[in-house]
Amino acid sequence: MNSRDKAPLSAIENVEVKLSRTKTWGGMETKASYTPNDVGDIDYARDLGNPGEFPYTRGAYPQMYRSRMWSQRAMFGYGAPEDTRDGIALALEAGLKSINIVVDPVSQQYMDADHPSFAPEVGLDGASLPCVRDAERLLEGIDLAKIDVAWHWGPMAYPLVAAVAVKRGMDLRELQGSHMPDLLQQTISGWGERLLPADFANRMTCDSIEYVVKHSPRWAMGLPQGYDIRERGLTPPGEIAVGMAIAIAAIDELIGRGMTIDDIAPSLAWVSIADIDFFEEIAKFRALRRFWARTMKDRYGAKDPRSMRVRIACHTSGRSLVYKQPLNNLSRVAIQSMAALIGGVQSLDCCTFDEPIGIPTHEARELAIRTQQILANETGVARTADPLGGSWYVEALTNQVEAAAIEMLEKIEKVGILKAIREGHVEQMTDEHNFEIERELDQQERVIIGLNKFVPETEPAPTRFEFDPANTRKHVQHLVDLKQSRDQHLVSEKIRQLYQVSREGNNAHQAMIDALVADASIGEVWGTLRVASGLSYDPYNVLNSPFAYT
Amino acid sequence: MPTNTQTHHRIRCLLGMLGTDVHSKGIRTLARWLRDEGIEVVYLGEHNTVEGMVNALVQEDADVIGLSFSSGGYLAYIEQTAQLMQQRGVGDVAFMVGGQIHPDDHGKLSALGVSGIFGPGSSKDDVLDFVRKVATEQQLARSSLPA
Repeated sequence: MNSRDKAPLSAIENVEVKLSRTKTWGGMETKASYTPNDVGDIDYARDLGNPGEFPYTRGAYPQMYRSRMWSQRAMFGYGAPEDTRDGIALALEAGLKSINIVVDPVSQQYMDADHPSFAPEVGLDGASLPCVRDAERLLEGIDLAKIDVAWHWGPMAYPLVAAVAVKRGMDLRELQGSHMPDLLQQTISGWGERLLPADFANRMTCDSIEYVVKHSPRWAMGLPQGYDIRERGLTPPGEIAVGMAIAIAAIDELIGRGMTIDDIAPSLAWVSIADIDFFEEIAKFRALRRFWARTMKDRYGAKDPRSMRVRIACHTSGRSLVYKQPLNNLSRVAIQSMAALIGGVQSLDCCTFDEPIGIPTHEARELAIRTQQILANETGVARTADPLGGSWYVEALTNQVEAAAIEMLEKIEKVGILKAIREGHVEQMTDEHNFEIERELDQQERVIIGLNKFVPETEPAPTRFEFDPANTRKHVQHLVDLKQSRDQHLVSEKIRQLYQVSREGNNAHQAMIDALVADASIGEVWGTLRVASGLSYDPYNVLNSPFAYT
Repeated sequence: MPTNTQTHHRIRCLLGMLGTDVHSKGIRTLARWLRDEGIEVVYLGEHNTVEGMVNALVQEDADVIGLSFSSGGYLAYIEQTAQLMQQRGVGDVAFMVGGQIHPDDHGKLSALGVSGIFGPGSSKDDVLDFVRKVATEQQLARSSLPA
């Protein structure tokens, strides 16, 4: 018997297929079947509405993907700005019209590439982008008024792009793109109070939204950023409840600053996730739109339909993917993506199958783009709006997810989201959920193929993406040189102004842009904002501020 | 050789993460499991420097140090940690790492003195077995000491 004959035999031993769970992935009980009795309370006009009509349960737009195809996205970012640029060029050649950029963890946390403690992480898992000159290198040849660049990055992304635009002589009103100013989700998702205190986080988030709404009306903002909090350890109702609490915290603060809901909400988009539970995720997207619409109308008195009609940006779940037999992840991502599209999202970013291994290989990235093209062209999934609307099960599950979310939000609001984060209640929720998942995996109450069942005994080591770090080293040296050669007087002056504006409690975004244009680095800008709020310059307490602020 | 008259040594395990990595849900869950299994866990949390982690190891007198990584920079951080452990005289403490560890790096990690590697696909029982084995070895070492 040759080796080719052996493979099917061992596969045959593994053909068992049985139902391992009757609860949803998020833990909600499900009946064996659903009937009209389960949806008897639904009033079509009140609770569903046609697609594009309040409360938008059935979709944001009347024609959905016939009038506005979802935006097919792929994520880029590694190494020095030039490395990421090369990746972007490949994607634009492959036909993408919009791209997502992710920065490395050091830049994510607004620290510079020359920070003494984090050299091993510079340029890993994202592009290193510590100053405006690097952003210029990255965006060279990209028309910022035309190509939609989505930054998977917090409040520093906008001022950095704005600084590039200013240097190019552009009007900020023309800027197109988006970023994710939601910092509270970062505090929840692993940064903690030490790196990012909740009150400081919410203030910086609100400064970002306020400035962008007033100066760049074509720029969108991902808030709440529900993706990370789900990955951290929340159920679909948890995503809606905590996400809504985060949005409410920002909206309340901005209304307190004199803005109206119809100034704010149209610029926001919900950053969401599609996990593997197909029906639960579809119900989540539908419940989320309905709950958002009603909250904007009933709680805030929104008049503008754009305030009530939430747009959803979706990325498939990285956490759900399995390291063993990684090609299985292509199936998972396809199903998650299908749920997102049936759920009516406006943009979709598919995880690459090798996500559990590291940053994507070029082949894996191409397959992720192809997955979207297959869904768009072959499956018919985008043919009609809300194709599962009216399914007794999906409508009942939509109600169930929404009710659970409302109950959870009420609990959070009794404490207040800022306090709940500060005191660790939200972290406790995610810890409990994660522990429960592990318990279920252990007991096989939750079966994940290749993780706790049908685990291949031996497999070759998976291919991982590797790139030459030579550019990264040069890039760090550029920054060190720039900090020596720039106009120090100008930088100090701009940093001092930034400090004063922020210290007086005003929105510091214009001063951030000015400082960045003057070649201050992101670490210097963020550190100064921290000091102005009474925090240490360096969140890790390794560096002291090089500036005199008074 | 005297029988071990000391009460059971309770194994002490220092867990934490280095650098900017925020992917701590795995190690938080692990900390809870180990505690539930009667192991004393000193959980240092995320965002430690190498220096801070090794200082804590010296102060806490732990039997095991465990680091988790979800970032590609782990090899450099582990190397720095192993070197500093040697310098501070705690190079013999059992060293385990987990998270997104690629099989191609296993050899390098072993050479650095990492004796427990729990990459993707490892179970909690694998970790528990490792920690218990360390505990048994420590106990044997103690019982063979002169009274």
